[in-house]
Amino acid sequence: MLADRVILACTVILTLVYMYATTQIPVLEIGDPLGPKAFPWLLGIAMLVACGFLGAEIWRARQKDDDTLAGEEPQFDRKVVPVLLAIVIWSGCYFLAFEKLGYIVATVIYLLPMMAWFNRGKWIANIASALLFASLTYFLFVELEVRLPQGILPF
Amino acid sequence: MESLSHILNGFAVSLQPINLWYTFLGCFLGTVIGVLPGIGPSATMALLIPVTYGMNPTSALIMLCGIYYGARYGGSTTAILINAPGEASSVMTTLDGYQMAKKGRGGAALAIAAIASFIAGTIGVVGLTVFALPLTALALKFGPAEYFTLMLFAMTAVSTLAGRSPAKAMISTILGLMIATVGIDLQSGQPRFTFGVPELQDGVGFVLAVVGLFAVSEVLTSMEEMTKGIRPEIIKLQGSVWLTREEFRRSVKPILRGSVVGFVIGVLPGAGGTIASIMSYVWEKRVSKHPEQFGHGAPEGVAGPEAANNSDTAGAMVPLLSLGIPGGGATAVLLGAFIMYGIQPGPLLFQKNPDVVWGLINSMYIGNIMLLILNIPLIGLFVRLLYVPGGILMPLILAIATIGLYAINGNVLELFLGLGFGVIGYVFRKLDIPLAPMVLSLVLGGIMEQSFRQAMTISDGNPSIFVGSTICITLVALSVVSIAAPILLARIKAMRESQKADEGAA
Repeated sequence: MLADRVILACTVILTLVYMYATTQIPVLEIGDPLGPKAFPWLLGIAMLVACGFLGAEIWRARQKDDDTLAGEEPQFDRKVVPVLLAIVIWSGCYFLAFEKLGYIVATVIYLLPMMAWFNRGKWIANIASALLFASLTYFLFVELEVRLPQGILPF
Repeated sequence: MESLSHILNGFAVSLQPINLWYTFLGCFLGTVIGVLPGIGPSATMALLIPVTYGMNPTSALIMLCGIYYGARYGGSTTAILINAPGEASSVMTTLDGYQMAKKGRGGAALAIAAIASFIAGTIGVVGLTVFALPLTALALKFGPAEYFTLMLFAMTAVSTLAGRSPAKAMISTILGLMIATVGIDLQSGQPRFTFGVPELQDGVGFVLAVVGLFAVSEVLTSMEEMTKGIRPEIIKLQGSVWLTREEFRRSVKPILRGSVVGFVIGVLPGAGGTIASIMSYVWEKRVSKHPEQFGHGAPEGVAGPEAANNSDTAGAMVPLLSLGIPGGGATAVLLGAFIMYGIQPGPLLFQKNPDVVWGLINSMYIGNIMLLILNIPLIGLFVRLLYVPGGILMPLILAIATIGLYAINGNVLELFLGLGFGVIGYVFRKLDIPLAPMVLSLVLGGIMEQSFRQAMTISDGNPSIFVGSTICITLVALSVVSIAAPILLARIKAMRESQKADEGAA
């Protein structure tokens, strides 16, 4: 229930921001008579109607005192959130280093700590998987004419 | 006669060695993806789109399509052996398939699933061959107003059938449409919602959104489960991978019935393989002489739903190819791929690119044969994939997603955008907001807006054009019904329940 209220509040704010941004779209006297604003306006209104539906769902569920109508309350586990957050930040670092270090080096450095965390104790398997994956995919994709950064390696 | 020659020419295209290879590759990858937990066909297709840039469009589409229907075959393996469907559409297979495996008939259950998938897949493709062409004749009468109302119907149908809350699905749909408005407006040339970022002028790339929403969020969800220590118990495959005469006899009629149910449901937007397999299961239980055996290892409970969820894939191709309207997440990804190769699905596709469309359709006949050959003798090999540690697999999928995102434009900003979509997708999953409607509207958003504006230009700004023809009126009425029906049904159910409670109290 609380999660649904948060969704409702966030969606309303997002829609209002979207509608404000729609007013900022410059209009020229060329193109079709409706112009570039009409469709976004319609979407903004439709989103507010959808928010109304969600509000009604929340209200009905509250009347019935039944959480299952709107779905079970999502569980953001205290143990899980830091791990997922770390993965997202680590992925961001990987992207930053992607072009500088090159695909192979950056990918091996990216994969090893994650494998060490999720596949604990299997050092040989983890190192072999990271090295083989990074080098095989690099040469495979280069062969397929998919450009991947070379970085600090000479090939 | 002309159509027949196109169909025969399609066979010539699909039988070319290069296309046979890509059919095989797609089917093989699809089966592997279906077996592996943590990544679905939509995500895989999205990941592989950038890899296919250098390929000719027909081969690329044949491969992507092979992944789509191949994953349905593979999805049954996890349903039967670990009681967890590899794909949502295999959820009904868990009920009896897992029970059969516990009784030592896991091999037979897998064989029933493979045979049902083959027969249903083939029947589905026959249906696609027969029905796609007449529908294109109807679609040729469509103008911008008809297309707009058709897309409106597809979106409302998908919204109301996805997830438990129609309101959340509506929000997901409209959010996708809002994202689709980012970038340069095609008619006036004005930038919209770009906030001065030049990279956003081309709009939010469809591939990066799909890779993030499907692949990255699926990996984050799997990593959450691993952190919580959730490990599925795998039942060892025992005995021969074949079925007895009695099991075969009991499976034949459910396969045929499931094939028809699956195809019909597949043609309708929004319904999809999950609903097809549920309907087939309920039907089989109703007509069975031994309904008490359902849920305890009845072969009919595997045969019917497996047939339904495989013929559904061919059914879903009918509106995609003939009208250019996908009915769900995976077909939306396929539509995105078509558009990326410069091919617009719809009625003109059969006239302009008959070799592509018939080559693709006919490759599905061949793919189904390949899948049968792959799935029965090699099932032991695929089962071994269940033992690949998730701790190795999930980081590798993230790295593949990075390659896919970088391959689009060689732009690091797009990697961050993809990651952002991944986090949004993960949060949406946790909050029970369905992702398929968002992807569908993201793909259709641009075309929908253009149809809307063209129709309004034709009518000189008069919105009555959207109810100006029988087709429009029918589609608008269907859209209204698809929004109102779940709300009314829920109301009626609640009223009946309260009536029963009152009677009980009295």
